[in-house]
Formats: sequence, C-alpha cells, structure tokens
Amino acid sequence: MFDSRLMGADTARLAALPGASLAPWRYDDAVLPGDGMLPVLPALRGLLPGGGLRRGSVVATGHWSLLCLALAAGPSAAGAWCAAAGLPQLGVRAAAEAGLDPGRLLLIADPGPGWPQVVAALLDGCGIVLLRPPDRPSAQLRRKLEAAARRHGSVLLVAGEWEGAQARLLVTRQEWDGIGAGHGRLRARKVQVVADGRGAAGRPREQWLWLPGPDGAVTAVAQDIAEQDDMARWGRGSSGPAGTGISRVSTG
Amino acid sequence: MTPPRSPRRVLVVRCPGWPGAAGWPGIAGWPGIAGWPGARDQESASGARAFEQVVHAVEAFCPQVEVLRPGACAIGVRGPARYFGGEDELARKIAEAVRPCGFGCQVGVADGLFAAELAALAGPAGRIVAPGETPSFLAGHPVAVLGITDLADLLPLLGIRTLGDFAALPAAEAVSRFGTRGELAHRLARGLDPRPLVPRPPAADLSVRQEFDPPAGQAEPVVFAAKALADQMHDRLAASGLACVRLKVQVTCEDGRQISRLWRHDGLLSGLAVAERVRWQLDGWRTAPGGHGGPGPAGPGNGRPGRPDGRDADPGDGVQPGGITWLQLIPDQLVRAGGRQLGLWGDAVVSDRVARAALRVQAMLGHPAVTRPVPAGGRSPAEQVLLVPFGDHDVPRLPPDRPWPGQIPGPAPATVFPVPLAATVTDRSGQAVTVTGRAQESAPPARLSADGQPAMAILSWAGPWPVTERWWDPARARRKARFQLVTEDGRAWLAVLQDGRWLAEASYD
Repeated sequence: MFDSRLMGADTARLAALPGASLAPWRYDDAVLPGDGMLPVLPALRGLLPGGGLRRGSVVATGHWSLLCLALAAGPSAAGAWCAAAGLPQLGVRAAAEAGLDPGRLLLIADPGPGWPQVVAALLDGCGIVLLRPPDRPSAQLRRKLEAAARRHGSVLLVAGEWEGAQARLLVTRQEWDGIGAGHGRLRARKVQVVADGRGAAGRPREQWLWLPGPDGAVTAVAQDIAEQDDMARWGRGSSGPAGTGISRVSTG
Repeated sequence: MTPPRSPRRVLVVRCPGWPGAAGWPGIAGWPGIAGWPGARDQESASGARAFEQVVHAVEAFCPQVEVLRPGACAIGVRGPARYFGGEDELARKIAEAVRPCGFGCQVGVADGLFAAELAALAGPAGRIVAPGETPSFLAGHPVAVLGITDLADLLPLLGIRTLGDFAALPAAEAVSRFGTRGELAHRLARGLDPRPLVPRPPAADLSVRQEFDPPAGQAEPVVFAAKALADQMHDRLAASGLACVRLKVQVTCEDGRQISRLWRHDGLLSGLAVAERVRWQLDGWRTAPGGHGGPGPAGPGNGRPGRPDGRDADPGDGVQPGGITWLQLIPDQLVRAGGRQLGLWGDAVVSDRVARAALRVQAMLGHPAVTRPVPAGGRSPAEQVLLVPFGDHDVPRLPPDRPWPGQIPGPAPATVFPVPLAATVTDRSGQAVTVTGRAQESAPPARLSADGQPAMAILSWAGPWPVTERWWDPARARRKARFQLVTEDGRAWLAVLQDGRWLAEASYD
C-alpha cells in the first residue's frame, strides 16, 4: 500500500504461510487457516507455542515496540482486521513494512476512560486487537476482557504487562546496524526476543530477529551469525545486566 | 432548463430588451431578437436583482415562480388560470401587474416551457396557444430555435428547415441518426417536454416516532420499540420505492434534552440492526463519563463526550434520570432503492462484523475517534499518514507517490509521536548542538534528553539531513535538519532541529 515493492514482499510472505492461499484477502472467520490459530510471520513461529497466535488468547509484549506490529502482521497479511487502541504513536508505515496491511487497520487513538467497553467491542469485530491499557486493569477487568477474546475467537495483544497472559514476549537485547559516529544511517536492528508464558508456553524460548531488517521486514537472524555475534559482543560477562539491552553499534 | 412538472400548461413572462437577457440561445438570425441592442454585453448580476421586482409581481398570481434567467420567468398556469378566470384573463392581469415596474412585458402560454417561451416571443404582447395546438404552433418555426448549434446547421442541409419537418420524422429515426440530443430536440419539436417527467423523491414525512408514557427509564423498552419503528419505516420507504443513505436516530428526554446521531444506512440495515444502533447510542450516552451521562450536543461530528468525572448518577441501571419520552427515526437523504451499494469505504471490503464494531465504538466515543490510515505525501513520518474517520472517504491533499526528496531512507520508525517531544541535544561540553547554514553540526551530539527525561549518552548518530520545505510560501516555509541518534538504552531516535529547537519526532523502538 505504501510502496509497490512491499506488495511483492507481502505476497511472498503470505504465500509462505502455512495453509494460506492468496485468496482470503477479505476477512472472514471461515477462511483463515488453522482452526483456533492465527498465523504469524515465519520468523516469529518459533517463539509461540503452536507456531501461531491462539484464538481467544492474550499475548503481552512488556511495552510498545515494533514487536507488537510484527506479531499483528501475520494475521493481518492473512486477512484479519487489526485494531489498535490507545496507541496514537503507532507508526503506520513501519507497520506496513513489517507486513501489516494498513487497509485493514482501525486506529482508536484515545479509547478514553471507557476503554474496556471499547476493547470488548473491537474484539467482537477484529481478529486481533492491539492495546496499550491507559491504566493498570484490575483482575476482574482482565478476566472480562479475556472472556471477550475467548468468546469472539480473537487475540488481544497487549503492549504492556498483563498478568495471566498466555504468552509473553520481550525484547531483551537490541543492536542497531549501519550507523556510526556521524556517518551511515539506521539500516537494521538485531534483537533478541525471549518468550515465555503459561502452560505449554512455559518453557522460555529465544530467537534473534532482524526487527526491522534493511527493508523493514521482520526476519530471523541466521543461527550462526547470531551465535557468533552473541559470543563476541555479549559473552564477556561485562555487558551490563541482562535485559537492559545496551546497544553496541557496529559501524557497517 | 427543467420544465415545471405537474401542470403541462406553462405561462412565460418575458421582458423584451431586458439588460443582460441572454435571449434565446443560438437563434441570432431569428427576427425579433437580432435587433436587441447589446443584449449580451450587459452585466447580468444587476439585471438579476432588478428582475426581482418582476418576479415579485408575478408571485402575486402564483407563489411558485421559476426564474429562467434575468428577463424571463415561468409559472404553471392551470391553477391560477382557474382562479383568475381563464388563461387570457390571467395573461392580461400579469402583463398589467408587470408593466408598472417599468419594463415591457410579453406573456406566452402553451404546452410545455419550450413552446411557452416561443409563444411569449410570438407577438408584441405575446401569444396564447390553445391547448393541443402547440405542435402546429411550433411547426412553423425554424429548427434554429432548438438552440442546438450542430443540429441547426445540419438539418437545413438535409432539407429539414422547420420544426414541423423535423417533427414529421419518426422518433426512432431521429434518435438513431442524432443520438440523445436528437431525441430531446425531437420531443421539443413535437411539443412534448424534453424528457419524460422524473418526479423527485417525495417530500412527504417518512419519519416514524413513538412516545413513551410513562417515560422509559430503561434502555430495553426503547430498543424494543426501535425495532418495531424501524420495520415500520422500512415498510414505508419500500412502499415508495425509496431507500435512505443515512438514518437519524433522535431520542428526547423528559427534561427536553435531545440526543441525535446519524448512522449510515444505505438501505442495508435491518430493523434489528437499527435497534442495535439505538442501543449503542443509549449505551454510549449512559457510559459517557460525567454528570448525568448526557453527551451534551450529541451528533456525528462532535468530539468525544468526555467531561471531568463528576458522576453522581448510578451508571449501571437506568438510562437517564428523567427517562426517555420520544424516539424518532428520520430517514435522511432519500434515494431510489437501487439495491445494495458496496465499496463505500474504499478499496478493502469492510465486513459487516468489522463495520459493526467500528460503528459501535464511534457511538461511544464520537465519529472521529475511530480512524483508518491513508498514505499521504510528506517527508516527516507524521506527514506520511492521514487518519480518516471510519466511514468517511478522504483523499490526501499531497499524493504519496511522489519522490519527496529529503525523506529519511531505511526502515520507518515504529513510534511516531503525535506531537513531537521537546528535546535537548548537547555536545560533550554541555552546549546545545546547532547546525550551520551549510548543514554542518556545531559539535558531535553527545547527550539527548527527550520529553524532560534524564539525559542519556548518545552512542552513535547520523546526520544532519537538511530539508528546506516550501521556501516559496513564507507562511509555511520551514528549514529543518534531521538526525538519527542511538542512545545508551538502545533506543534509536529521529530528532529534528527546527528554528533552534530540538524535537524528537519519532523513535525506532
């Protein structure tokens, strides 16, 4: 939509999704592949139990980042509608580059004090709802919204903390590529994403991703490069506390 | 030139020699008009104002006057003629009423506007063509009076010189040889209206309403009544072969307050769907924060009904203190029922389910609260997206498919601050970093503080990328220099220096 180049990339990515055909551009429950599972971008499959977003589940990402958009991109590319509530800062172009279809995106910049009703209404209509809660939701409210997601078979993707989320993904380390001291530009970012969750998702998984890659797309970092870099940059034990994600910049 | 509809007998009043009167188009050679001095050179706006006196005089005879142009107006003649004692008498009285205004007056009566106007020109005081004699009256006129230039040139070459000759042609031949304009001309020549009558959708009141006595304190009875009302309204519309584009739901409270909202209908909503929207409207009203739950001046265009929280009414059970006394459904923008319309929201087909959710949220927060992004043109990340309220169709002023030199290349930032954050960027010595006219930074940026947060060390940076936008327009001209900065917490920023102030436009989280 933003770039003709992207259409090709989208199509290729879409074709790579399991069971996805190019036909279901219109959202309809019946045509989405995988009963009970919304497809995600191939790079993210390893991070999620079952290799996709389970319908009716809640997924938390700690805070707002491109990771939220990347998670929503797979279902959107497969034909689901996506709504974003409480995220006026959502970069639509970045979303499009990650694979999310802006034509099937609803933005509710400020859901106001009645945000739980807004989110419940959105869960009814959209396959995936991005939410940054304006305040810390009570346990009762959380249960209500979880029930709404289950009832409508949609996924609530929280850009924040959500106790009881089925899966939780966090960016633990990040590193920008292509920029130096006064030269170059931001080209790509390599991040380490760690996922855990409840039940089957309990075992922590981790994955190195290009988030974004040089063309804005989200892909997995080849295993050997990741390990090599990991050893070289992070393995010395003096790289600060885990999770701070201090950036070391290579001047490529 | 639309003829008056129901009365086919038409009376035309024209003032010969009217300044600025356009005359009959395309008949310069026709006697009676050629001699008008400078008829086309005059200013017509003043003429239009002066002609008001004449129209006013004619209005005394018939309130519905169609002003054809300054210098000519028309009325339907049937009713006034009966009242004033015949067409001749009416024409005489009108001429008498107009002459005191200081203008000459010709009055013509015939079947249809075209013939009536020619009849007005037919003599010094006009002429009255008896009913049914219009075709023979027209037959003697040259084809040039049709006012269709190419036909006026062509028909005499074919040996057809008068309207009578032309009317003698079979209608089908006229259409097949001369197209739709030929058909129109042929109908005129035969003394018919230029096209079959197309009555406009009736102005009849198709709204439906229900009173609640005693006032309804709960939403349920109102919603229940809404379904029955909607069915009733749909039946009425269907009986007239109409559909409405929008539906206005108006709820009146016991204390006189009104809440009304417009819903897009397009003839697609069932009675149940209308009832659902009434429920959302009431829900939105009830759950709106503040006071008595009233949204104030509600409407599709108003903002969010947000007010400082001062709720004293129990938000849970009742609809309103006072209750609801009237529910009214008003069909808006009537159109002929022509089946479903699709694609109202642009390219992607919006499924009913998504539309319902979006409308529901719009009922709670107001129409502009739910938006869809549309790509737009610009250099900063915020300019590249236009947010269009759901249900509207808006086209960006600046097209996105232009080169936009000076855009920041590479991956787009995931976080675009709706309002850029104030920032400070300092060099190693604590001095604010500036950029010279030659796009040279004063010193390497060393620390960034955005939005009042503690300063962070800058590990790497790139820039400046200078942009001079709209230098030709002093009001909107801007000079900027953009930097990409990576801070010690790993975040990457897009910062811009404009008029000596640093702003964080976006971050690449």
